[in-house]
Amino acid sequence: MRRTVAILLLIIAGLGISLSLTSIPFGVPKTKVGRHYINEGVKETGATNIVTSVVVNYRGFDTLGEVTVLFIAAIGLGAVLTASGKEKERKIEPASLILGTGCRFLFPLILVFGTYVFIHGHLTPGGGFQGGAIIASGFLLIYLGCRERRISRVASNLAESLGGLTFVVIGLLGLVFGGHFLSNFLPRGTANALFSAGIIPIIYIAVGFKVGSELAGIIDNLIEES
Amino acid sequence: MVNPVLLIIVPLGLAFAIPLFALFWKGAAKYIPPAALGFNLIVSLILLPRVLAEPIIVSLGGWQPPFCINLVAGPVGILFSAIIALVGLLVSIYALDYIREGAVERYHTLYLLLLTGATGVVLTGDIFNLFVFFEILCISSYALVAYLGERSGIESAVKYLIQGSVGSSFLLIGIGLLYGQFGTLNIADIAEKITSASPISLFVPMVLFITGLGVEAAIFPLNAWLPDAHSSAPSSISAILSGIAIEVGLYAVTRVIFTIFGASGILSFLAVLGILTLLVGEICAFSQNNIKRMLAYSSIGQIGLILFALAIGTSYGVAGGLFQLLSHTLSKALLFLAAGYMIYRAGSMEISAMEGMGKKMPITCLAFTIGAFSLVGLPPFTGFPSKFLIVRAALATQEAFFCVLIGLVLLGTVIEVAYFFRVIQVLYFKGEKMNSVKKEAPIAALIPIFFFVALIITVGIYPRLVTDVLNSAASEFLNRLDYIRSVLG
Amino acid sequence: MMSFLNSYIYYTGAFGLILIGLYIILVKHNLIKVIVGLGILDTGVNLFLVSVGYITKGTAPIFSRSEINSEHMVDPVPQALVLTAIVIGVAVLALALSLSIRLYKHYGTLNLRKIREQRW
Repeated sequence: MRRTVAILLLIIAGLGISLSLTSIPFGVPKTKVGRHYINEGVKETGATNIVTSVVVNYRGFDTLGEVTVLFIAAIGLGAVLTASGKEKERKIEPASLILGTGCRFLFPLILVFGTYVFIHGHLTPGGGFQGGAIIASGFLLIYLGCRERRISRVASNLAESLGGLTFVVIGLLGLVFGGHFLSNFLPRGTANALFSAGIIPIIYIAVGFKVGSELAGIIDNLIEES
Repeated sequence: MVNPVLLIIVPLGLAFAIPLFALFWKGAAKYIPPAALGFNLIVSLILLPRVLAEPIIVSLGGWQPPFCINLVAGPVGILFSAIIALVGLLVSIYALDYIREGAVERYHTLYLLLLTGATGVVLTGDIFNLFVFFEILCISSYALVAYLGERSGIESAVKYLIQGSVGSSFLLIGIGLLYGQFGTLNIADIAEKITSASPISLFVPMVLFITGLGVEAAIFPLNAWLPDAHSSAPSSISAILSGIAIEVGLYAVTRVIFTIFGASGILSFLAVLGILTLLVGEICAFSQNNIKRMLAYSSIGQIGLILFALAIGTSYGVAGGLFQLLSHTLSKALLFLAAGYMIYRAGSMEISAMEGMGKKMPITCLAFTIGAFSLVGLPPFTGFPSKFLIVRAALATQEAFFCVLIGLVLLGTVIEVAYFFRVIQVLYFKGEKMNSVKKEAPIAALIPIFFFVALIITVGIYPRLVTDVLNSAASEFLNRLDYIRSVLG
Repeated sequence: MMSFLNSYIYYTGAFGLILIGLYIILVKHNLIKVIVGLGILDTGVNLFLVSVGYITKGTAPIFSRSEINSEHMVDPVPQALVLTAIVIGVAVLALALSLSIRLYKHYGTLNLRKIREQRW
């Protein structure tokens, strides 16, 4: 009964949506806003990766909101999971020799790769969120391979808060020096150089640290619970 | 002149800093939300006279409007952010004493972020930014409903989360369809281009927007999460959810319908939906024994009434709807705050357990009674001029359709009177079971209750204090061309 | 027919995923399956958003050499939107999973039909 009602609703929804898709032809350039970003992006922001300049500079407020959403999820998860408060003694089986050695070998390489991705976010595909996720996967590897190690909670909370505060403070400095919140007040430099594009690398470094420590904190909370 | 972006950034920055403060000084976390919200309230009140004339457009990043995100601080935005700051401030003072167990600093961080998200939704001028701040609001409320960690709280939070996330996905599909058609994400830009599109291709995005935002605004078939969530959350969070979160959802629906789509054909459908919501809410509230569930169903009913008033579409109607929104926020927050300590004293949420509470906690029960009278619409309180304005607006349209619906509104009011008077009868006129020891709620709870009562009585006796602002807000919703002109120049 | 499929395959795939995700959320009883359905719904919506911005025979909008022809670059805005939407989806899934862990501790089961203490 429930299945047939659900399928009926979905058929109606599917038909309705396919009606509206005829007005969005596939593969055809549609927007003037996108064109403007591609044509003027390098000149106005100094970053050669246009997606990064859209994410951090033209629509930087959305990125601030997104960073906040991840912060809320990490705190909400911590509040829900640690409310039980019991300390259980668990027997931790050590991982096998191959797994342990492999993880210890790969962990610094993964960290370096993640850091490379978020530092070069304005020049190559990548950026703060991608680099942060790579760093968190390195930490997950440590949880799987060397199971008795844990991240220090104080350090991870500190990295989260400082990352978020850095983003907000840079925005406020843009307000003070440039007249608008998040305006790009540092010199733009030459395109394709590492130290170019004003505030974009600084914001992405802060975001990279924040996302990495947040996702690692989420993994830590979930593993401790099970 | 203060930049309206500070209304969002200062609470956001302080919320990020709460874990840092908690490292050095343990009890600091509970004083930061009142400080941030006090700042917001002062800034909103300073900006309010300026924006009644001409909205302040803040473009973020320094680029020109269609190529950047902009905030539109007009009469609607600053009015809503003043209400959010005021109610948030008073409830955060209440929570200084009410929240004692669990991870207290996480509660305060989530609370401040919920209110930041709400302020962001009402001030923004860009649909994807609206989605992001809307998600901030929703996700904080999912986490706060589950805050106490009890069975009912976690179950309600899971159901709320699933329904809210499906709604947000619909909203995102609608945003994708609008972007594919018009190539821009700015509300004023889309509003300008919409006149050149065919109505058929706009129908599906509009339905998706109303469904997606309607889950949070608790419109009729989408409000199954509300009674569970509002009754299992801690009482200060129930006050914020019923008083701010669903109103901000309704603001988003109104902004989309009036400013983006400019639709006049859908308004009669929304009026019928509003009346359905009102009747479902009131009838279900009548049969409840749990006081918080009763108040939650009453919120559903009131949202139906506000939606009906906004769907009348004339400037009286929209002003009446906004006035009813203001009086519902104040009254419902007062009711939940008073009920919080009444439940704490009585030990249970059943109405029958509160017999004789009127003698044990006289001030709190008097406040509950005043809130109930105001919600129903009795004279010296703020519910009376707002309901009167709605009835007058409906009768002034001279259409039989609206007059019939107003009859149903009055029927809903009669049902409201019935169930609230039943509670008041139990509080004051039922017998006492034991020697009544008078022990009031603590002072941190009585200060906000006193302020709410004072506001309700003041606005009720002098509605002219707010009617100017409400009329400007109504004309901002109804005059799309002025909105487009002030943003795009 | 082939040209229709060729041009609309991405939209069909995205909406197929969305409808599958909605079906799972509406019909299944196990909470973990519902959360997986939510993830599939999010993936479908993100795929739809990215495919709105595609331009036929376009390349990535990155000027790695300064003399690259910018005529055939795809639209960068939907990619920025999807970046944000993916992160928000991950945040919601993390919160949902933590709530389901606590729910299992309270009720001992993850069957949504049995977790119905609040009725009416």
